[in-house]
Amino acid sequence: MRRKGYRYLISIVVLFVGVHLVQVQIDYRKKIENLESNLLLMPGQIAGSLVLGGFKGLAADLLWLNMEEYWHKGQHYKILPLLEAIAWLQPSYILVWTVGGWHMAYNIYAEVKTPEEKQYWYQQGIEFLKKGLAYPFNANKYDIYFELGWTYYHKGKDYPNAVKYLEKAVKYPHPEYVDDVLAHAYEKNGQIDKAIKQWEFVRDNYVSFFDIATRMIHDLKTKGKATP
Amino acid sequence: MKKMWTIAVNTFRESMRKKTLYIILIFALIVIGASKLFSFLTAEEELKMIKDVSFSAIEFFGALIAIFASITAISTEIERRTIYTLLTKPIRRSDFVLGKFFGVSLIIFVNFILTTLFFIGLLLFKKSIPDIEVFKTLLLIFFELILIGGITLALGTFTTDAFNIICSFFLYIVGHLTSYGKEMIERTENIVVAGLADMLYTLVPNYENFNIRDKIVVGISVSWGYVGYTILYGILYTCIVLLIALYFFQKREI
Amino acid sequence: MAIIQTDKLTKHYVLGRKKFVVGLENVDLEINEGEIFGILGPNGSGKTTCLKLLLGILFPTSGEARIMGRLPDDIEMKQYVGFLPENPYYYDYLNGPELLLFYARLFSIRPDVAKKRIDELLELVELNNARRLTLRHYSKGMLERIGLAASLINDPKILILDEPTTGLDPIGCRDTRNLLIKLKQQGKTILLSSHFLSEVERVCERIAIFHRGHLLATGTLDALNKQYQAENLEDLFVKTIYAFDNQEAVKTGEPK
Repeated sequence: MRRKGYRYLISIVVLFVGVHLVQVQIDYRKKIENLESNLLLMPGQIAGSLVLGGFKGLAADLLWLNMEEYWHKGQHYKILPLLEAIAWLQPSYILVWTVGGWHMAYNIYAEVKTPEEKQYWYQQGIEFLKKGLAYPFNANKYDIYFELGWTYYHKGKDYPNAVKYLEKAVKYPHPEYVDDVLAHAYEKNGQIDKAIKQWEFVRDNYVSFFDIATRMIHDLKTKGKATP
Repeated sequence: MKKMWTIAVNTFRESMRKKTLYIILIFALIVIGASKLFSFLTAEEELKMIKDVSFSAIEFFGALIAIFASITAISTEIERRTIYTLLTKPIRRSDFVLGKFFGVSLIIFVNFILTTLFFIGLLLFKKSIPDIEVFKTLLLIFFELILIGGITLALGTFTTDAFNIICSFFLYIVGHLTSYGKEMIERTENIVVAGLADMLYTLVPNYENFNIRDKIVVGISVSWGYVGYTILYGILYTCIVLLIALYFFQKREI
Repeated sequence: MAIIQTDKLTKHYVLGRKKFVVGLENVDLEINEGEIFGILGPNGSGKTTCLKLLLGILFPTSGEARIMGRLPDDIEMKQYVGFLPENPYYYDYLNGPELLLFYARLFSIRPDVAKKRIDELLELVELNNARRLTLRHYSKGMLERIGLAASLINDPKILILDEPTTGLDPIGCRDTRNLLIKLKQQGKTILLSSHFLSEVERVCERIAIFHRGHLLATGTLDALNKQYQAENLEDLFVKTIYAFDNQEAVKTGEPK
């Protein structure tokens, strides 16, 4: 019984070779499926993540709850560091980026007084959204593209950029209103032909947009202008 | 085979008579409490948080149960000397160890099923039908718990309880940090150091493999290929720790 | 041919490099089929170590132990052996019949056979009226009795009992003694260890005296009394142990 020890040893070594091979497969799949935790950015933060262990999502949730509280109290600036922290903990949580970008470019924008400050926060919002796009798993979804496109369109009146991002947004599964906003953006950007085509697409595909799309196409064809 | 099962069932029954079920109760309270807490959020945010909290709770309390059930499995038998009455019966020592392992697995399984049912019930109550990705997450958590139990059981064959608890929790944390290790290895330029680190990376149980919940809750889907390989990983690693347990228990004097 | 046999059985408990404690040193024992054999000795003399080595709970440093000609890790041999550990303690959430059924399963006894056997044994150890009581509520004597029943569940050919009468009151002791004699009449071989001399004196045909891991003397009580010019077992016990200690003191030169 006690002399069989080496057999255990050999089996264990063989199995570890198997484990290694499987681990190589898993790591490969993590890479192609974007499952890696992209966390090792700042060495000082490793300590924090040690404590958190496998519960990054929970930590992000707790911060999110705090954020909601500040939000309701109207303490907008306090939200900023929380947004950074949540984005760091769970960069694939896409709401962080879209809510964060909106928060800066709209809420804080509305609160500050001078045009310089307003311009500054508008830029901050745009940059925050672009930072979210740097993560490959966010780049495959419409959300941030749309938020960027909308912010450019509505807040910045920067129509070339708006068209650029909205065109990206419609490449991924998205709600109907994204197509609608894109059509408006085409028009404002002076691309009337594209705007008409886009409205025709909306008219033919979305029942609920049928009336407005028909009207828009009519106005564009007759007056060359439709959006008030 | 039958004797192994007898020991497994006895291990299970014993833990059911103890306080194991209270842990499930705590789990339920936390999840219910959490869901009340989140009700002011939008539905999408709320669901994400319920899933986060539930997955984390299923794993964390599952890990607690796995570790404590495994620790008591062998050491209580030794402490109160009932092990003498077992090993003097016509059962192999390997039957005893494997019986204990399956008993612990049964405890983990029942606890896992109860907490999972609770979680799914809550999702349905919130009018969200759990999709296949949720089940993938749960499946991987289950295999992780079995591995955690196996590792603690194996440690228990040659260490003291106190050391075992420390070791098990240490491995639990380190095993969740493996992805950082991996990145460090990729950045290391010294071949010898990288080789050694790579070996260590293989030796440490890679619990992070099983952790797809952070991705699932935000809507990233995971392929069956990944799930399959990770389950294979769990089974292989569990076999290793069982062999280690058998090796040490065969030699153990009580 | 002896049914239980040890050959230069030695057990050292290793404490560190080149440091060890003698648990058992070169013990040759032979126990014949059908006899009641008593191992005697003060606490820490190696009685329990010897039994554990026989049953494969401990592994010998050198030498070997055999039961029915087989080594302790032989699974089949254990089918014929019953064992009662010292101060037995059991799964206290079970009741008597459940406990016995659990052990019956480990012997692969058929359920119907086991059921009959459990009834007989509970009758034998007089726990039949406490069938529903969980072991948590047992008294020490009841635990000792259910332990004895558990060790008999497989109808063993060989019964090994470690201190079977500690914790029993005089009546319990007498009952156990009578039971052992009855079992011997059924043809069972009984090996028991004890430090209760009077107990051993009354039931054992042959005895072995252990001290500090050494086997000092073995044989029938009469023969040993004659050999050591002792009047009774107590006298014999003291004489052999003193003789050994003096001898050791001379050897190592330590004053006694």
